[in-house]
Amino acid sequence: MADVVVGLTTSDHAGDAGQLAKAVRAAFDRQPESIRWHLLVANLVPDATAVDSVRAELGTSAEVSAVNVGHPAHHSLVMPYHGLPGRARAVHAIFAEARARQAAACLVLDARSATGSPETIARLLEPLRTRAVQFVAPAYPRHPFNGALVHAIVYPLFRALYGARLRWPIGTDYSASADFMDAVLPHPIWDSERGQLGIDLWLCTTAVCGGFRVGEALVERREFFERHELSLSTALAQIVGWLFEDMGTRAAVWQRIRGSTDVVRVGEALRLPPAPKIDPAELVESFRRGHRELQEVWAEVLPPLATLQWRRLASAPFETFRVEDALWARTLYDFAMGHRLRVIARDHLLRSLVPLYLAWLASFVRETRHAPTEEGERRIEQLCLVFETEKPYLISQWRWPERFKPVKFRR
Amino acid sequence: MWEQVDAILRRAMIRTAENVANFLPGIVGLMLILLVAVVVAVVSRRLVLRALLGMHFDQRAERWSLGAPGDWQAAGGLSALIARVVMWAILVMGLLAGFSALDATLPEAFARTIFRYIPNLLAALAILVLGTMLSRFLARSVLIGAVSLNWPYAHLWSTGVRWLVLIVSWVMALEHLEIGRRTLPLAFGILFGGVVFAAALAVGLGFKDAVSRSIERKWRDDREKADKLSHV
Repeated sequence: MADVVVGLTTSDHAGDAGQLAKAVRAAFDRQPESIRWHLLVANLVPDATAVDSVRAELGTSAEVSAVNVGHPAHHSLVMPYHGLPGRARAVHAIFAEARARQAAACLVLDARSATGSPETIARLLEPLRTRAVQFVAPAYPRHPFNGALVHAIVYPLFRALYGARLRWPIGTDYSASADFMDAVLPHPIWDSERGQLGIDLWLCTTAVCGGFRVGEALVERREFFERHELSLSTALAQIVGWLFEDMGTRAAVWQRIRGSTDVVRVGEALRLPPAPKIDPAELVESFRRGHRELQEVWAEVLPPLATLQWRRLASAPFETFRVEDALWARTLYDFAMGHRLRVIARDHLLRSLVPLYLAWLASFVRETRHAPTEEGERRIEQLCLVFETEKPYLISQWRWPERFKPVKFRR
Repeated sequence: MWEQVDAILRRAMIRTAENVANFLPGIVGLMLILLVAVVVAVVSRRLVLRALLGMHFDQRAERWSLGAPGDWQAAGGLSALIARVVMWAILVMGLLAGFSALDATLPEAFARTIFRYIPNLLAALAILVLGTMLSRFLARSVLIGAVSLNWPYAHLWSTGVRWLVLIVSWVMALEHLEIGRRTLPLAFGILFGGVVFAAALAVGLGFKDAVSRSIERKWRDDREKADKLSHV
């Protein structure tokens, strides 16, 4: 039996697992009261070195076990955006182990991204220890230009739909209480192909929509780069596709929610990493190229006014290039409707969003490059408020699809 | 003598009357079959048209990449065209069945040949329809993929893929219809081989600098990972 089970998900990053295990032990050693904890290494590929390196670091001072959830037959043909095929099975194995040991809480850490900082790990545990919340999501202090997909689409959409200001709903490091694990374990999503793709987002959404108390912990994150990193269009199609599909299954929930509320937050603001290299002019050029080639595709989902606004932007000079928040919000809502009504093949629809996203990013970088941190946070907050304000536009089309009238209107 | 002439004439008239009497039921049968075929064809046309309009077939066909409503305007719309094809198919089958009722050997043989040809015709139609849908789907996939990868001339690539798939579909359909059985595959082989050869020359001679620059840029990007923008 253990009070807390800590699960490390690892694929081929055995070295990082050892360092992380050491930080986990340090984090528990600093706790005011003694906590019995068990560490489970969930291998997504058959790899014995991860648990060996963990045992080498911890010695006999901690209980360690391992489970292999990776199997060639389980590997999907599609690499998920988080880079861990079979991730849902790994998290399920961790949750199941926690409940089998009657643990009161469970911590899931991604061996690739979690840093070896005991303070970070303690932050994920703290709200559960005091029973203030039942699910703690991460909030990664990243430069505003990094993770732009989350700033531009995931966070504003999640916040507007489900009313919770969770900054990083697709984070791969989180903690959960026993009653939350008991509620989610029986769900069939763990073995589904869809689950392997978006289990982290599903857990966050379920926590918010299921009436659980949700919190957020500022967690340091290592920027890592996979050898075979997915292209932007594939990652966007997977993440936004998941969001749109989930909207369909939870329509009865998000249509009743208005505005958004803060969540319990643990940790002070951390120092941001340096800015990545980015050239907004190149992004604008990509958008213009996309506009030239994909107008016919966008006409399947965008109404005439939005089409005109994007056309004006395509011919606007770089110095005045700005994507209005309302235009961006309504464009995403129109794409959500197009996805729901299957106006064209869903994969085509989602991938055609890439040039529009690059236009938003170019506009965001251009406006905030002189003071990216403060100005970036202010702009993202402003964007989220506009998403909430424009939500009735989405609701009215969702309830009455005949109001959805793109340029290529056929009904 | 006049009595013999009279007897011959009577026999000739009786033979003619007998022939006509033997032939008439067949004619009546043919007329009846044609009448029934016309009625069934007209009713079927209306039912098919109503069913297709009821399920918004024209809009669905556009979604399935079978062409915009404007493409079929000359035929009065895709639903109207299909209904008309159904009507004429029933009429032709009625005519062939009527010929069989006449018990005429040549028309019967012709009818048998036509019926043997129908499966080939249907297979060719199916190949054309599927080929058209596939060509538009693949063309759009290539267009969007090329734009995402910032390739120049995305529309050119997309159009090329579309026409390639369409040409293959037409050649396969015509082969099923047993039209130009030797000529068409040979012409297609020469055309396709020529295109591939020209593309290989173009890539080999024209793009080798671009390929080496691309490899160099990838190697440089791998070294500069720390500064790389991450979208997720």
